[in-house]
Amino acid sequence: MELQEYFSEEKSIYLQISEMIETDILRGVLMEEERVPSTNELAKLYLINPATAAKGINILVDNGILYKKRGIGMFVSTGAKEKILESRRNSFFDNYIKTLIEEASKLGITKEELMEMIQRG
Amino acid sequence: MANLECSAITKRFGKKEVLKGIDLTIEPGKIYGLVGRNGVGKTTLLSVMTAQAASNEGTVTYDGQPVWENRDALDHLCFSRELNTMTSFGPNNQKIKEYFRLAALYYPNWDQAYADELMKRFGINTKQIVCKMSKGMLSMVTITIGLASKADITILDEPVAGLDVVAREDFYKELLEEQGRTGRTFIISTHIIEEAADLFEEVIIMKDGKVFLQENTVDFLERAAHVTGLEEEVDRVTEGLEIYHEEKMGRSKGVTVLLKEGQTLPRSGEVTIQPISLQNLFVALCGRDSE
Repeated sequence: MELQEYFSEEKSIYLQISEMIETDILRGVLMEEERVPSTNELAKLYLINPATAAKGINILVDNGILYKKRGIGMFVSTGAKEKILESRRNSFFDNYIKTLIEEASKLGITKEELMEMIQRG
Repeated sequence: MANLECSAITKRFGKKEVLKGIDLTIEPGKIYGLVGRNGVGKTTLLSVMTAQAASNEGTVTYDGQPVWENRDALDHLCFSRELNTMTSFGPNNQKIKEYFRLAALYYPNWDQAYADELMKRFGINTKQIVCKMSKGMLSMVTITIGLASKADITILDEPVAGLDVVAREDFYKELLEEQGRTGRTFIISTHIIEEAADLFEEVIIMKDGKVFLQENTVDFLERAAHVTGLEEEVDRVTEGLEIYHEEKMGRSKGVTVLLKEGQTLPRSGEVTIQPISLQNLFVALCGRDSE
């Protein structure tokens, strides 16, 4: 288990919990069909209320990233990694490109200049 | 485990009305945070809730039964108070060991093995005299008594006031562990809001002798935002919204906004919209210029 990032104030903690678990799945820290830390374990590790940790976990369950084995705990679904990549690709435009264009237009950077920068990067 | 309910509680000290009609429901299995400015009546309220002080009007019930002079109801409650060391007579001249012995007699579900474990972990010397202990050690004693009481509803009044950051984290960890293990209810008053914000499932804010707000902490933070930018733009974006804590500097303006259900802030490049921490939100809501 990695999950050792510090929380930032930018986002709700439960969203940060679900993103951290997703990132750990992408990085291979958590493998498919492996058990993820319980809400109580997460609560103790991050000193957060278990209900908040559960809220973060539940998002991943709703999205089919995790599934519950009754009496044992939460597990990473088969195909979770691909699902996370797909949803992150889908939100890439909203999360990154839109803000990039907004900032560029504020600075007076033209579309051509922006394209040129992307090609350079 | 059952609800602890306050309805229309008032409390006066002489002519001064400290509690001005408090309605509050404490549900089982949650960690509540009680916050408010100094002198707002937090300790008075907690005393009334546990029948350590009488109210002038209103009732407190546990599982529907009044708690006042009701041993059966009080057996479910623990209010571990801060020890006062200003005087060196009475209970303050006792050894800590004696103080724990009394606690063990008073609380029907007292767990001596757990108390011993916590005392060892927190480094409490049971041979020490109460009034000669440091503030930090006294905090550890009140925390240990609260935890080891195993009461269904356990109230801690500023438990971390005298503790350093390492000891505070130790306490938070133990609190979460115990709560996870047993599902007990905790009410914790604190001035160190930022640290404890993530621990509280619900936050209760007291202001002007009343409960100003009781809400799930995450939900509360999600409907709050700090909006800054050119004054006209900020005014335009926040028109009709609940606004606190206006600050102006030159042409710029910053406000704290509390959104009601169904309200949203437009995503506009013209103003900056940021999340706000519970501590800053508290200052915006209860600070000097909010009156």
